[in-house]
Amino acid sequence: MLLINSVAGRSWLFDSTVAFFLDNDLAKAGVIGGCFLAAWYGGKSAASTTTRRKILITTLLAAVCVITTTKVLSKTIFLPRPEIQSQKIYRLEGDQLVEMKRMPVRVMLDETSQKDYRALLSGEIETNDLGSFPSDHAGFFIAISLGIWLASRRLGLLALGWSVFVIMAAKMISGQHTPLDVAAGATVAIAELAVVQYVVRRKLGGWLDKLSGLTIRYSAMSSAIVFLIAFEVSSTMIHIRAFLGLLVAMRRHVLLGMGS
Amino acid sequence: MKKFSVIIIVIACAFLTSCGIQKEGLVIMTDHSYKATLFATNKIGFGSPDGLLWHKGKLYFADEGGVALESWTRNEGLKKLVDGGFGCESPEDLVIDDHDNIFFTDDDAGGLWEFAADGKPRLIAGKDKGLISTEGIALSPDGSLLVGDGEQHKVFRVTRDGQVSDFLGKDYGITKPESMVFDDHGNLYIADNEDNVLYLLDASRKLHRIIDRNDAFSPETIYFAKGSLYITDSHNHKLFVYTPGEELKTIAAFGGQLKNVQGVTVDDQGNIFLSVQSDLKHKIGNVIEISKEETQVARK
Repeated sequence: MLLINSVAGRSWLFDSTVAFFLDNDLAKAGVIGGCFLAAWYGGKSAASTTTRRKILITTLLAAVCVITTTKVLSKTIFLPRPEIQSQKIYRLEGDQLVEMKRMPVRVMLDETSQKDYRALLSGEIETNDLGSFPSDHAGFFIAISLGIWLASRRLGLLALGWSVFVIMAAKMISGQHTPLDVAAGATVAIAELAVVQYVVRRKLGGWLDKLSGLTIRYSAMSSAIVFLIAFEVSSTMIHIRAFLGLLVAMRRHVLLGMGS
Repeated sequence: MKKFSVIIIVIACAFLTSCGIQKEGLVIMTDHSYKATLFATNKIGFGSPDGLLWHKGKLYFADEGGVALESWTRNEGLKKLVDGGFGCESPEDLVIDDHDNIFFTDDDAGGLWEFAADGKPRLIAGKDKGLISTEGIALSPDGSLLVGDGEQHKVFRVTRDGQVSDFLGKDYGITKPESMVFDDHGNLYIADNEDNVLYLLDASRKLHRIIDRNDAFSPETIYFAKGSLYITDSHNHKLFVYTPGEELKTIAAFGGQLKNVQGVTVDDQGNIFLSVQSDLKHKIGNVIEISKEETQVARK
């Protein structure tokens, strides 16, 4: 299950490199954002550009669905990260709490991983660490990469390769996800991308034609929007999530009068 | 393509509906010197308790889901002391004095309620006296009761004969005094789970923000025992222990149907008991016991 994690904790240099690709948004997802932009602008004719853009717009819609699904599932299916499962855990079975077998996890030697592990030993557990199944990173990046692949085979292969061999591998080596988490995230991505592409093309074809036409007609505006989207893709939508968090806080503190 | 999509949708639906795993519950011991056991479930007769308290060998429940005040012992089982027929709607938290009089709050019906040692229940002070949504409760050294009100953002002092006065007004800035407890030195700890702050009101009535870590701490119920404060956190699903002068320490984290930890109490042996509201609407609750591994060894 955690065979890939067995390479961790042996070389500081290797672990630091893996950690770099885990933590640095540009290194982690800049390539995917770049591939998305290249696919957006890379059509050889107006017709092929329009076709690509239709696929990519639908892909973005699918990616939002995928990240929603993986978030809902991870909050529903309570399965902690492997590093958490290396701790003492009791599982509810009938009317009893039964101690689970601990998962052997190797901790990476880089500074951040060591600091996080020391925090874990002192009882610091992020709520996000308690629901690792399925991997939302896997779902999100596989959905985007597959969408790029549908628009442009070469760029798609690069994006898919980067997603699998850099982003997903780093997640598994570090013990943040098991291969099962990643496989489940990828399954959600493939399923939902297929469904959304089919439904949007069949049922919302007119709307899609209009929207892709607008991106060509108002190319400056659409370029700005696509840049923002690619930027957010590169940072796994962290800024949008922060913005939504701000809206929730504003609702609570301003509208409901709960200012502190 | 159409057939393929239908197959994908069917598989996705089957996958989603087969996720009965959500009914699972986990307890993660971050302090390995403790162990967890499921102490009680709905099978003993309660609904979904919020507050709970060990007192002289009995466990008392402010049963929010079951709309009742209850007591439990191993020999006698569960006894209903006060139920909804008396007017309470959502028992929240409770304290018991040395004469075994039980006092409890109600965040829906409001007011301060008593089940006296002679077995007579009464409403000491209700909404008409300004207690609109009562939450935390503490027994003051002078014998009066301190009651937190989440809607008025105040802590009231209530005498046994029902006189209500402001103890901490709005100007103290406590948004929701969800739980309160005195320590050995007469300091009052106040848990605010709206602003996510643990306060300490010292003897000179100066309010200190003891723990203020908005991102990962939201105190639900606090209980002081043997120099330490035990804290449940229903937002982050954790049990903490805080000892003055030391760092806040996580004892356990909870997930699945055991994640909604509410009340906390400690018995004479130092075993910690937590009420868990797994599904308040459907009156599903549990009580978890967290005890030191050595305790079992000593018992054997």
